Amino acid sequence: MKKGLGWKILLTLAIIVGATLIFYFKRINQGLDLKGGIHLRLQVITEDAVVMETDQEILRLQELFKKNNITYASLTRNSPGKFTIQGTNPDQEAKIKDQLDQYLRDWDYALAGTSTSVSLKPAVLQYLKEQAVEQSVETIRNRVDSFGVAEPIIQRQGKEWIIVELPGVDNPERVQNLIKTTAKLEWKLVKAGPAPDEATLLQSFGGKVPDDMELLKGDPKRRAEGFFLVSKVAAITGNDLRMVRRSVDEWNNPAVAFQLKPDGARRFEQVTGENVGKQLAIVLDARIQSAPTINTRISDSGIIQGNFTIEEAEDLVIILKAGALPAGMKTLENRTIGPSLGADSVRAGLLAGLIAVLAVMIFMIVYYKFSGVNAVVALIFNIIILFGALAYFRATLTLPGIAGIILGIGMAVDANVLVFERIREEHALGKSITNSISLGFSRAFSAIFDSNLTTVISAVFLFQFGTGPIKGYAVTLIISLVANMFTAVFVSHLIFDLTVTKKAKKLSI
Amino acid sequence: MPLVLFKTPHINFMKYKYVALAVTGAIVLAGILNVTVGKGLKLGVDFGGGTLVRVMFKTPVAVGDVRLQLKNVNLGNTVIQEGEKKGREFQIRTMQVIKTADDQAEIEAHEKLGNQVIEALKGDDGKAELGRGLKDLNTIDTRELTALLSPSFAADAPQLVESILNLRNTKGIFADHAELQEAGLKPEVITFLKDKTFLGKLTILSRETVGPQAGADLRKKATLACIWALIGMLVYIAFRFKLEYGIAAIFTLTQDVLITMSLYSFSNREINLPIIAAMLTIVGYSINDTIVIFDRVRENKKILRKETLENIMNTSLNQCLGRTIITAGTVFLTLLALFLFGGEVINDFAFAMLIGSIEGVYSTVYLSCPVVLFWQKLFPSQKGFRK
Repeated sequence: MKKGLGWKILLTLAIIVGATLIFYFKRINQGLDLKGGIHLRLQVITEDAVVMETDQEILRLQELFKKNNITYASLTRNSPGKFTIQGTNPDQEAKIKDQLDQYLRDWDYALAGTSTSVSLKPAVLQYLKEQAVEQSVETIRNRVDSFGVAEPIIQRQGKEWIIVELPGVDNPERVQNLIKTTAKLEWKLVKAGPAPDEATLLQSFGGKVPDDMELLKGDPKRRAEGFFLVSKVAAITGNDLRMVRRSVDEWNNPAVAFQLKPDGARRFEQVTGENVGKQLAIVLDARIQSAPTINTRISDSGIIQGNFTIEEAEDLVIILKAGALPAGMKTLENRTIGPSLGADSVRAGLLAGLIAVLAVMIFMIVYYKFSGVNAVVALIFNIIILFGALAYFRATLTLPGIAGIILGIGMAVDANVLVFERIREEHALGKSITNSISLGFSRAFSAIFDSNLTTVISAVFLFQFGTGPIKGYAVTLIISLVANMFTAVFVSHLIFDLTVTKKAKKLSI
Repeated sequence: MPLVLFKTPHINFMKYKYVALAVTGAIVLAGILNVTVGKGLKLGVDFGGGTLVRVMFKTPVAVGDVRLQLKNVNLGNTVIQEGEKKGREFQIRTMQVIKTADDQAEIEAHEKLGNQVIEALKGDDGKAELGRGLKDLNTIDTRELTALLSPSFAADAPQLVESILNLRNTKGIFADHAELQEAGLKPEVITFLKDKTFLGKLTILSRETVGPQAGADLRKKATLACIWALIGMLVYIAFRFKLEYGIAAIFTLTQDVLITMSLYSFSNREINLPIIAAMLTIVGYSINDTIVIFDRVRENKKILRKETLENIMNTSLNQCLGRTIITAGTVFLTLLALFLFGGEVINDFAFAMLIGSIEGVYSTVYLSCPVVLFWQKLFPSQKGFRK
């Protein structure tokens, strides 16, 4: 045995044992294509958040003007982030300016004669949109967490996209509903209705929806049908909820019980107290769920009914607990992979991979005899390190990832072939066995190094710029090639050093 | 004696460079023509958008019947492919071109088409049973099944659910309640399930809808990733060898990709994200091959200073021939195993790589080397070889 091999043996053993332990204790995550699950790409309609902000500002301004006796004809929103005040008295110009300067700091305004156009400052607009996306990610995460999905991925992509990946989910429709529902919950007083159609409803209002009311439809799936006229201002909203839980109504049907925060309870008490005998609509995302009649003053708790199934009631609780989304969602991409499709691929892929690796190993041993055994050992080490590293980096194994492994194995075998062919060449030129071996390794090294590094460089770019499957491919490839440099060069050389002595007359290659 | 398949031969590879270049040129041109003005590339759901539904039937169904069922509800314009389990597995891609002003409307229309396909295939199956309050064991989810079993089997329920669903995952679909025995269920459990559940005629294996925006984004990202990867390789090879070697390598890779793409075009296979990974793998093998030869050329240039570059290339190719064939052979072996046993999803993938593995060797010999030769003829540089 040559000198100085001790540390090499130790290093090799340490790495192999380490990789085996990591692989044993941390399992490798399988991608959606193998394990099944949902992949969603959603777009946050950030304008919704801006519209909401604009409407709130208009409501605030109405109150301010009322308080300060400023007269105006109308306050209308023209577009998200823009509204006009019309029909103001020119004599009150200074007063109006004063109010706007003082209370609408996030807004720019231009006052001309009797009308003023007000627009949101660009930086604030940007901030609102940004917030809407961030909040949506947070809200979706909360909802998914309380639904209970193992290892969900919820991340922002670009300006207003969100990627949601939920492995192993077996009821896609329900989960999608859970994620995409805006869940804007409001309690509004019913002014008229229900009526079978709009015309009947509006008869007593001169065919027009009054300014302080809005027309809403009942949710056909729930306990409310037809058209309603309700007050525009909500008595209380989802923000006033302190606690929600699944419960039952007086007929033992699933329902959602709630309790209100003190402030909300005070308002609720007032509204219900003043309107005994009238209907109070419970509105979820602009659809009326139910419109029960107020029998008595209610203070801080109640139930939401609506012909729910147990699951629907459960989901509503989850959604209300996590809070409303600040804006609506659009689906851009929706993939649902069942667990059995992936299961098939995994089984077939594993079998094929095993057959392939075995065939290569047998060929190497037949062709290179003892040296082939050396290559096989190196290849096995390579695979062990690969799986250990995949587990360590918590990488996700996907179908293209398997392709990356195949390329890696191919290049590992190629590295061995390069070295062995070179050793044969040098030996044929009449060099001694040990000399041929070390020359074989040193001369083949540049080719192995350059080809591996070139591929690693390309894989790094693929990882950087690619999406899901391409990323998965890049990860396994990079790990595999780095392991390859170690096993095919370092370990394989070490095995020769350990097994071929200076006195050897023949080299089995 | 070592087992030698190939003694170092003396083949004058470079002699045929013009013929080879003409052949390559013709193939590439045919490919480009086919992709641009001919059949074109068939973009899969990933890049082209639309809905792809994979279903599995309880009992075998003829492709013609499936087609007829869809045609009856005006869904004739769909591509139906039979899956691995012949007659039971189908892959259906709706092809209606939906152009609406609004992207959201478009994706909703795609989703609706998906629903229509499933409804058309299902027909009235299971409606009577569902009406009687039975559950479909072929589509029931974990929660529902737990809720069904809990009252009667109490503590055993979670374990029963797991073994039933595991068996369903392996099988895809149950054709008969008797199959439940394979999950090791006791007879009373099976009788209970027979009583409370029925077996729907089909199950949905997967369902993918990609809207126009997402498709465009996936296309853009995949293209960008590939372009940057190519630039990265060019820079590294130019740095380690010489500029012309880098350029030659890029030529080779471009040809590899073009040829694979045109084969996809000719064979009517769809381009999807995993296929991009397969193409990149081909590029990987090919670049590996090219670099091994270039490395030998680099080495030989130092030893055989007086020889012409063409002779050096011939020598290098001959010296590396044994290695080239053995490596290509083992890689081919690996891919063949994947192609034959890898299952439906991997099969497509392995097809690309099988072609690529052969083509990669050819492109190294007859594209990489000649390009370097031509470059040096076009731009004769000072003597010597930069390291």
